[in-house]
Amino acid sequence: MRTILNKRLLLTNHPDPSLCRLADCPMRETVELVHIELPDDQAECLLERGVVPGCSMCATRRSPAGDPIVLIDGMVLAMRREMAGCLLVRRRLADAI
Amino acid sequence: MSQVQDPPGRWRRRTVPSRTEAPLVALVGPPNSGKTTLFNRLTGLRQKVANYPGVTVEKHLGRARLPGGEAVDVLDLPGVNGFSARSLDERVTRDALEGRIPGLRSPDALVLIVDSTRLETQLMLIEPVLSYDLPTLLVLNMADELDARRGDVRDDVLAKELGVTVVRTDARTGRGVDAVRAFLVEQSQRRASAAQRAEGEYVAPPRIQLPVIGTFTDRRNRIRAVNQRASYTAPGPSFRSERLDSILLHRVGGPLVFLAVILLVFQSIFTWATPMMDGVEALVAGSGEWLAVRLPDTWWRALLIEGVWGGVGSVVVFLPQILVLFLFLGILEDSGYLARAAVIADRLMMRVGLQGRAFLPLLSGYACAVPAILAARTVENERDRLATIFVTPFMTCSARLPVYALLIAAFIPDRPLLGPVLGLRAATLLGLYAIGLIAAIGTAFLLKRTLLRGTPTPFLMELPPYRIPGLRSIGLRLLDRSRIFLRRAGRIILAVAIVLWILTQVPRTAGGPPHIDDSALGRIGQVIEPAIAPLGFDWRIGVGLVSSLAAREVIVGTLGTIYGVEDASEGSFELQDRLRRDLDLGSAIGLLVFFAFALQCMSTVAVVRRETGGWKWPALQFSYMLGLAWVGAFVANWLI
Repeated sequence: MRTILNKRLLLTNHPDPSLCRLADCPMRETVELVHIELPDDQAECLLERGVVPGCSMCATRRSPAGDPIVLIDGMVLAMRREMAGCLLVRRRLADAI
Repeated sequence: MSQVQDPPGRWRRRTVPSRTEAPLVALVGPPNSGKTTLFNRLTGLRQKVANYPGVTVEKHLGRARLPGGEAVDVLDLPGVNGFSARSLDERVTRDALEGRIPGLRSPDALVLIVDSTRLETQLMLIEPVLSYDLPTLLVLNMADELDARRGDVRDDVLAKELGVTVVRTDARTGRGVDAVRAFLVEQSQRRASAAQRAEGEYVAPPRIQLPVIGTFTDRRNRIRAVNQRASYTAPGPSFRSERLDSILLHRVGGPLVFLAVILLVFQSIFTWATPMMDGVEALVAGSGEWLAVRLPDTWWRALLIEGVWGGVGSVVVFLPQILVLFLFLGILEDSGYLARAAVIADRLMMRVGLQGRAFLPLLSGYACAVPAILAARTVENERDRLATIFVTPFMTCSARLPVYALLIAAFIPDRPLLGPVLGLRAATLLGLYAIGLIAAIGTAFLLKRTLLRGTPTPFLMELPPYRIPGLRSIGLRLLDRSRIFLRRAGRIILAVAIVLWILTQVPRTAGGPPHIDDSALGRIGQVIEPAIAPLGFDWRIGVGLVSSLAAREVIVGTLGTIYGVEDASEGSFELQDRLRRDLDLGSAIGLLVFFAFALQCMSTVAVVRRETGGWKWPALQFSYMLGLAWVGAFVANWLI
């Protein structure tokens, strides 16, 4: 819980235009995962699949309910938008998928 | 290819006794990487395979068929992403690898199977696997797809970097499986040579010492570095999957296709299966008559014709419908559509309080609640798992299908409802599936707000690429299903039919069988009657309900036997005609509703007891469902 608060502060105190949440990212843009704002036990299911800070990901489409479907190193992962809202990413506009 | 083909006729699952001389090789890997397909290739067993993450929920053991006849046992474990043991599945896998499962020795070697099209993320498992310090083979599965999508990796560099043997396979076509067999043979020889030497002299082959598991990020970075040195080129995106997803996960199109698929399945259960059912029915009736004419008029002819043919025959008729249902479920699973359906359904599941992962158990519940309850092991949260187990038997399993089909055919006119798309009968069937689903959702909603309150857990679902379902895999599954269905008909239903027939024959009056109302069975039925009279059922249905506690479809056989005995003199053998005489529309609908809700299945009660570790949950579940069934049937009978 403490990490969440700290990182929220970090995001608000140091506004970085390239940082955003995966849920707010434009579709089909490749971004780099910076931080996972989830308690350890909830983050683990991402981590053990290799979704760790530093990896690049790309939300390719939305499910009918509006949840993002994310492409990570050949793996297509469907997650809820609540979770995508906890993934802090850096936009790298020059990169293409 | 030819030598990989499994010889037919060897399909019974064998539990290999723990014989010390045969080495045990465990198959590990992430979900949906092809472990079970490889296991089936190696052992010739027929495990259920699906293009849906998390299908193997129990461990399976089989003896590999090797060219030199060496004895090596292969263990197929549930797919895991790690060994943190958050879910029961991960715990089973970890305990099996550490030799902590009673009656199962610890493995002598490991085979790690990964999907080579997702190598970067799938190799996250290599370090935990190598930490067991056993001879390990890394299998890069789905190599054909990697090639087709122009990906590549240098196996030799990968092997050197990781200190393991690396082979490429395509388990579906059997390509490269011989290399895995060679690894198994090697294990057997290693065991033999170790046995020849003195105790303690055996030295494990040298292996590269990898760092102890650090954080996930460290692990991931090391994997990435290894992959870079092995010049791994990730495959291009699967255009077929992309294109299909743009339709099947479309905002409007997705749910529409989802609905259309469901309608198609239900409509075809009636339209496609009817000609086949007529065929089976004619066969059963014809063979019964043929026998009746040729056999002498004795008591055992009556038992055979009235009891066995009437009882078992009336159930066997429903085999085609069950096969059509499983054909569709098989196509949906193997093609990869099911994972998309889970994504479409997830929001609904969340509102109920269950997580999306519960979708697989609930969906398998449409086939049979027993494997579905085992599949609930993939649900990580214990409260969610209990809630899933509790509501799974509400899903309309295939054993209800014969009962539904019989009553619908007898009472619902065959009229089109939505033109040729949906008939009234298919719509009724769909309605029955729907009330089961609604009961499941409502119950889950209640449970999650009362007994099993808890926080929602995250939902992550890997979407496998779409694949064309293999004829072999689906054909084998249908064959398996037929076998299970016929075996049940041949054991439970046969036994019940014979017992019931005997009960109709005693006590003997004036040297002949009594009138059925005065028989032992009739008297038992009349004891039950007061409890079910408010539902509009007579004692015959009551006996059927009691006998269906063993398994739901038994009621069809029971009624077949009772009416067979009653009508032996009249020569009428039509179950539907007889039902129409005994039930009106209201009580028939009531009976359908009763079957939709009641937990009439001893196997389910037994498996719930095992999975929840006590009688509390199965007892609660049984009485809750029975109560709901009684009230539901009463209301239906009163309304109509």
